[in-house]
Amino acid sequence: MKTPVKVMLVDDEKDFVEMLALRLEESGKEVIPAFSGAECLEKLKTHHVDVVVLDIKMPGMDGMETLRELKQLFPLVQVIMLTGHGTIETAVEGMKMGAFDYILKPADFADLLEKLAQAKQSRDAQEERIRRAEHHALMVNSRKGGKNPFAL
Amino acid sequence: MSLCFKKKPPPAGKRQTAMTYSEINVLLVDDETIFRKNIIRLLQNKGFSPEEAADGSGCLAFLAQHAVDVVVLDVKLPDINGIEVLKRIRQRENPPQVILLTGQATTEGGVAGIKAGAFDYLSKPVDVAHLITKIIQAYDRILLIKEQQSRDAFRKQMEKRMQAAERLAALGTLAAGVGHEINNPLAIIGESAGWIRMLLAKSGGKDIPYRREMENALEKIEQSIDRARRITHQLLGLVRQQRSEHAAVDPAALIDEVIQLAQRLSQRKKVDIRRTALPAALKIDTDPFQLRQVLINLLTNAIDAAPVGGHVLIAVQHQAGEILLSVKDNGPGIPAEHRTKIFDPFFTTKGAGEGTGLGLFVSRRIVEHLGGRIDFETRLGAGTVFYVRLPAEANNNITGETAS
Repeated sequence: MKTPVKVMLVDDEKDFVEMLALRLEESGKEVIPAFSGAECLEKLKTHHVDVVVLDIKMPGMDGMETLRELKQLFPLVQVIMLTGHGTIETAVEGMKMGAFDYILKPADFADLLEKLAQAKQSRDAQEERIRRAEHHALMVNSRKGGKNPFAL
Repeated sequence: MSLCFKKKPPPAGKRQTAMTYSEINVLLVDDETIFRKNIIRLLQNKGFSPEEAADGSGCLAFLAQHAVDVVVLDVKLPDINGIEVLKRIRQRENPPQVILLTGQATTEGGVAGIKAGAFDYLSKPVDVAHLITKIIQAYDRILLIKEQQSRDAFRKQMEKRMQAAERLAALGTLAAGVGHEINNPLAIIGESAGWIRMLLAKSGGKDIPYRREMENALEKIEQSIDRARRITHQLLGLVRQQRSEHAAVDPAALIDEVIQLAQRLSQRKKVDIRRTALPAALKIDTDPFQLRQVLINLLTNAIDAAPVGGHVLIAVQHQAGEILLSVKDNGPGIPAEHRTKIFDPFFTTKGAGEGTGLGLFVSRRIVEHLGGRIDFETRLGAGTVFYVRLPAEANNNITGETAS
């Protein structure tokens, strides 16, 4: 059975997060809300998350700062940015920094679902590649008689 | 009196060379007929065409009817005192310059006259050459004032334009701010409506009373969100990018993308959209996002304007140092009374909820921001072409030549 996509919604608009979370949960996603960039980074330390849906415009630590730190700390977590129309350039900048994609606010739900699925797929594929590479490294090392790098 | 008119008047001001005396409108006011006729004749000999008046009221009556540059005015007049006449002349709009003629050896009237705004005074007997010099100087003053006035008018006009531009810029900032602020509640409304829709669709929701009515209401909410979203997105398009990122844009790909985006609209109206073949390897160095928005706006307008089954043609040319993009429809054309208004914010001829009235307004701002111009040609019954001209030298270049 496919495991549900774990999504973290990050937006300072609590009502927005609440309503979108209800819809996403109804569509079979697991949703973790966060209302600021700091809260997002904090919660990522303790929660396994596949995709972060991140609002670009937030008071305090804005979306771009959050994205920068997030990608450093959790490079495998996929990010979909929520952006107003006038900030598409920011979204592009974000994608250059490693964000997976962006959607315009107000969001089209079907569009969001599709992008979430793609992001999850991309993350799974990446993890699979890493797993294979690790496995390969393990084999090479054990053949050499070297120390298992993953042994404790 | 000494009349030494053989002497050429000394040059007075640099305009003298370009000026003939006949263009100076002179009015001579003096009650002594012989003296007056004499001066008139002497002035005529020099090429002037002076007019005359015998008293103050005659002078004022003449001024009320005719344009006069210089009044040569005797201080001692039978009806109204010359200084009084001078004061009344000075009250006129764009008053002529006044040269006073005072009695022999008395400068009293002259001093009072200059205080009252006379250009200068001469004491009788009058040296005509001297008088002519004064007339020319006075006329110079008139020209100077006129020049000053047109400069002032020009400056005022420029200031007005600047104010309008500033107001527009402020409006843009405000509009973008409003767009942003409205987008968030709009997103919440959208999510909430979507959530209700999901609940109604659930198995338990099927039995809810008035379910169809609620779905109908949800439909209205969603349509209105869409309408509001179109407005906020246009408003947000006004946000002036701190640094618009230029890239080498392939116009063919950009146009095809825009045509693709407008496909739903064009298919619904059965409008055929074509683009002309483009010069190979033509690249435009510009901001792809902003140019795309402009093209979307122009194409949407063209499709709206075209009749059902009509056609729209998009072309790109590289000519005379500029990139010329054009979007042409075969619609009804733009009526004369709308032509000056189409770039105004919120001007629209489309029905309520169909047009935001912001498309062309935003497009023009974007194109100007990109260093280009936007204009149009229209013919009633034949159609309209919108042109976007982007500079080719500074910001644009044709790549492909550098291939090695």
